[in-house]
Amino acid sequence: MSNDSAAPAELLTAETNSKPSFRIRSSSSSKRWQAIVVTGLVLCSLVSLLTTIGIIVMLVVESWGFFADSRIELWKFLTGTKWTVGQTQGSLSYGIWPLLSGTLRITGIAMMISLPMGLISAVYLSEYASKRIRSFLKPTLEILAGIPTVVLGFFAVKFITPYMLEPLGDFKTFNATSAGMAVGILCLPLVTSLAEDALQAVPNRLREGAYGLGSTRLEVTLKVVVPAALSGIISAFLLALARAIGETMVVSLAAGSTPTFTLDPRMPSQTMTGFIVETFKSESVVPGTLSYFSIYAVGTVLFLITFGITLIGQIIRMRYREVYD
Amino acid sequence: MTDPLNQQLEHRSDGQRKMFSSSFSVICLLVSSLAIVVLATLLFSIFVTGGTWLNLEFLTASHRENNPEESGIGQAIVGSLVICSICGLVALPIGVGTAIFLEEFQPRRRILRMFHGLIQLNINNLAGVPSIVYGILGLTAFVYMFGAFHSIRINGQPDYEIGATYSYQVKTLGGQYVKFPARAKLQPTIEIQDSRTVTDSSGKRFKLNVFSPIDEESTLAKTRSKSVIRGTQAQLINREGADLYEAATIDGRSFTFPAKPTYSQFAKILEPITVTGPDGKSFELNVLSKSEAIPTDELVKARSVFADSPDPNKRSSASIFRENSFFHMHLPFSKSVLSAGLTLALVILPIVIIASQEAIRGVPQTLREAAFGMGATRWQVVRGAVLPSATPGIMTGAILAMSRAIGEAAPLLAVMGGVLGTTNHLSSLMDRTPVLPVTIFKWAGDENQGFEHLAAAAIIVLLAFLLMMNSVAILIRHRYEKKLA
Repeated sequence: MSNDSAAPAELLTAETNSKPSFRIRSSSSSKRWQAIVVTGLVLCSLVSLLTTIGIIVMLVVESWGFFADSRIELWKFLTGTKWTVGQTQGSLSYGIWPLLSGTLRITGIAMMISLPMGLISAVYLSEYASKRIRSFLKPTLEILAGIPTVVLGFFAVKFITPYMLEPLGDFKTFNATSAGMAVGILCLPLVTSLAEDALQAVPNRLREGAYGLGSTRLEVTLKVVVPAALSGIISAFLLALARAIGETMVVSLAAGSTPTFTLDPRMPSQTMTGFIVETFKSESVVPGTLSYFSIYAVGTVLFLITFGITLIGQIIRMRYREVYD
Repeated sequence: MTDPLNQQLEHRSDGQRKMFSSSFSVICLLVSSLAIVVLATLLFSIFVTGGTWLNLEFLTASHRENNPEESGIGQAIVGSLVICSICGLVALPIGVGTAIFLEEFQPRRRILRMFHGLIQLNINNLAGVPSIVYGILGLTAFVYMFGAFHSIRINGQPDYEIGATYSYQVKTLGGQYVKFPARAKLQPTIEIQDSRTVTDSSGKRFKLNVFSPIDEESTLAKTRSKSVIRGTQAQLINREGADLYEAATIDGRSFTFPAKPTYSQFAKILEPITVTGPDGKSFELNVLSKSEAIPTDELVKARSVFADSPDPNKRSSASIFRENSFFHMHLPFSKSVLSAGLTLALVILPIVIIASQEAIRGVPQTLREAAFGMGATRWQVVRGAVLPSATPGIMTGAILAMSRAIGEAAPLLAVMGGVLGTTNHLSSLMDRTPVLPVTIFKWAGDENQGFEHLAAAAIIVLLAFLLMMNSVAILIRHRYEKKLA
């Protein structure tokens, strides 16, 4: 199943660069045909560029509609700790922090699960596992990676909350912990496969050298392989982080629709994505209204955070990659 | 090496070090197998919850409000398949094209190389954008088209439309429905629903803000002069030969916008007209006045209406009725299957590109060189040598991307809303439809506990689809992997 998101894309660029050094003779018609095709291909690749431009233009223009409203001040949006946009009663508060903190709480719980587990699984798969265990574990992780997020949301709200958390204490029906656990499950295969790729990229002669000096397998792993693959591992962590922050269906099913500003993991906690989905679900989004514009304001914050993290992950992977010839 | 871990380990005996190593491997195994436990629990709990609810009726029926026993996922399955097909038809050619461009047409000029690099970086970043952001993009770019076409939604009639015929429908005294063609006319008043560009009395154009009644009124003078409350009435006026609608902002500043012919919701029948019966035959409709007795002859009864009946079942007011042909299209696309498919295509585009790139890179360089050696142009090399051997890899990637698309709920929720069922069958690209993941989402959150089981049953169906797609992918991979190696 798919590892989706950014799979190793820049592994092999060096190989394809070797161009034939002879002159290519072709008929003029096939050259003309080639020109047409190349134009078509350029247009195809422009679609992805236009998507990014579209996202940025849309977020800027429509968020402008939010902040241009006389009731909204940018400063209060960035610092306020109460969010009531979209609620029909009461006064209007539009501080992003309840939503942002909801996202961070759930992401934090998810990372506590997926990062250590993912790294350990990756180490095991790459350094320890026998072929038989590998042929068992790898497909399991691939299946887990392919489970739609809405299914994991269902699992969180119908299984994790009632059977695992409620016996433990005073957990609300919708709470941050169960959503966080499900998001953690979701990120686990991603961390594992990306970190394993990083570990596998470490050349065998490093391991052999360390074994030759009398190291045990643990010492080889912890002191040679993991440090050598560190940039890849960190970028895997960052990708998982971005994925968890942007995760939508799990949180909107399991974390509830109450924006809260608290540290208590047993409380409901609406996230930024949860708010956006809640607004769409109610089908009361009419262009030009404040709740319509608020989607874009929240979306902008979400996009900036995830885009930033992905970008940092890319840079780390490119710049700090240990290159072995 | 002088790091602390190193020094600690140096002081340990060989036996201790070996013990550490082997116990670590046991911990690793335990942690790794947790994934298996999680997956097993997940599948088990879903099968226990939904397994018994899975039957043929469930697969064909459609959603019924408050009635889980008779609800099903027939429409949702069709909807999911249609949207995924649109998504695939759009994303695959564009994705593969981009991958070919990036891999096989690497330019030599510096500025073009930078363009290449930019697109590659952009694709890697797009893969990390949350799908809900794509949903918002789809809503803005496809559903509303950046507000470039304003629609007066009270009659559900877009400004630019093909493939739809409007007629009025009325029930005769005999209980038959007859219809007659509607002619577009300008309504004396309409309600303003969407923000749109309008012109004020001095000829200046500005974008009108529309606030819903639940939003508080704007207070600042600057915004007030550009805002109306949703549902504000606009009057039809004729100025210098042009039909315009005129209304006023909260501030009392009057503005106008051009009137487009629209059909009114209801038409009153006052005199005999030619109509088409349910059998497709045309006849003259009798119009009786209120005081006349109901005709006894069945045929006459079936061809009569009261001009003004107090009984709503026999009402003579005909209501608008739209028939869409299969090629029905309008701008903007509004909340439709097409918008949904295009949005999903954007979601999976980076995945398709990255997978295709990897498949193309896997083609041995010798193949290309041999083709070049025979005098082929670059495109001929790609078509004749690279693509055929990269096809299995591209197909595998494409199927995996599609399996991502079929399970994606957030973008669909954004562009189509939470539709659970529609009265009509899916007949054109402009219709809305329920889809599997959104149905699961709505059912899982339903207060009626019965829907919990249905959600689980629907999940089983969705997982079955995924399993099928992945088996095909694995099959392709195994079949062709050996050939190339």
